[in-house]
Amino acid sequence: MSRSSSEALPLGTTPPYARMHRWLQRGLFVCLTALVLEGAFTFPLMALWYGWPTLSLQEICSEFEKIRFADESRVCIYPYPLFGPAEGAGQRTAQDLWGVQPKPRYERVEFRELIKRRDERIARQAPQ
Amino acid sequence: MSMDPLRTGRAAYDEHHERSREVQWQADKWMMAGSAFMGTAIFGLIGLPLFFRGLVLQIRAQKTGLSVRPTIVTLIGYLVFIDAALNSFGWALDLVANHTLLARVFLMSWGNLFDAGYFWHYNELWIGGATAPGEKAWEIALLPIVFCMRMAAAIGFLQMKRWGHQWLIVTCWFGVVIWCGYVANMTIFADVRYSGVVFPVIGWWIYNVFYITPFLAIPYLHTVNREIFAD
Repeated sequence: MSRSSSEALPLGTTPPYARMHRWLQRGLFVCLTALVLEGAFTFPLMALWYGWPTLSLQEICSEFEKIRFADESRVCIYPYPLFGPAEGAGQRTAQDLWGVQPKPRYERVEFRELIKRRDERIARQAPQ
Repeated sequence: MSMDPLRTGRAAYDEHHERSREVQWQADKWMMAGSAFMGTAIFGLIGLPLFFRGLVLQIRAQKTGLSVRPTIVTLIGYLVFIDAALNSFGWALDLVANHTLLARVFLMSWGNLFDAGYFWHYNELWIGGATAPGEKAWEIALLPIVFCMRMAAAIGFLQMKRWGHQWLIVTCWFGVVIWCGYVANMTIFADVRYSGVVFPVIGWWIYNVFYITPFLAIPYLHTVNREIFAD
């Protein structure tokens, strides 16, 4: 269909900008659909990556604390007291290389690695 | 009996106007229900078909000659709203609900996967939540000012109000400032944000590039014939 006449154009679109508006509309469609798909799948896929359902959400939370504060004794307190201090306030165990910019020393967590970490820790801590 | 042509014309116009409003409202009900689900992230898949059903109703009405909102206005309005809702959801969790299990599992997971601003020393500041340099300041500034304002502007824009168009321009330019400032911050503090992260930098970009709404809206907002927006 020819788009040369202004009758064929959407309301508010003038001929010089018709092509640009058409491309913007396509981009908007893509972004909207992508945002929704991301929104819907992010939570379940993240849960799977970090070990759910083998690990409960609270166990995942605990494993994260152990990694970020480099302290195996850490556990995720839940429910957390409403007016309690921030859970990490005053901690002295987290490992960073401090300079003009801090650089954390924790390693990346591979697919379902938290399960392995938990199992190895339990085996290590078990009485011989 | 002779018909008064002026009266007949006006009646036809009124009827057309009334019918257009009815169809638009019908389509909007579907799209609003869809966006409510899509704005929650996790229930987005329920919302998407509802939204598209509304969009199809509107496009169909447009083809039959009814005076409904242009499709691109609908897309910009709803996308800006959803973009702002999703951002608000994540940042509100971090700002005020940072000790909930939801935040400590899913924000941490997100941080560990893409951006350790949401992992590194998390929940160590007295206010809790993200500890990365500058992050809290962004949240405090952007949540109540930019994102709330953007949602209000998107609603006005969808109602084809002049103020909606004007405020969407203002808040979309805010969006450009956010993008530039945020990316600069993440680049400068890259060690904190990307060390030990599963999908650093490129992963973050692939995930977040779909939030470029302002860059798609601004060229339209400045080139649309603004007479279509009413006072």
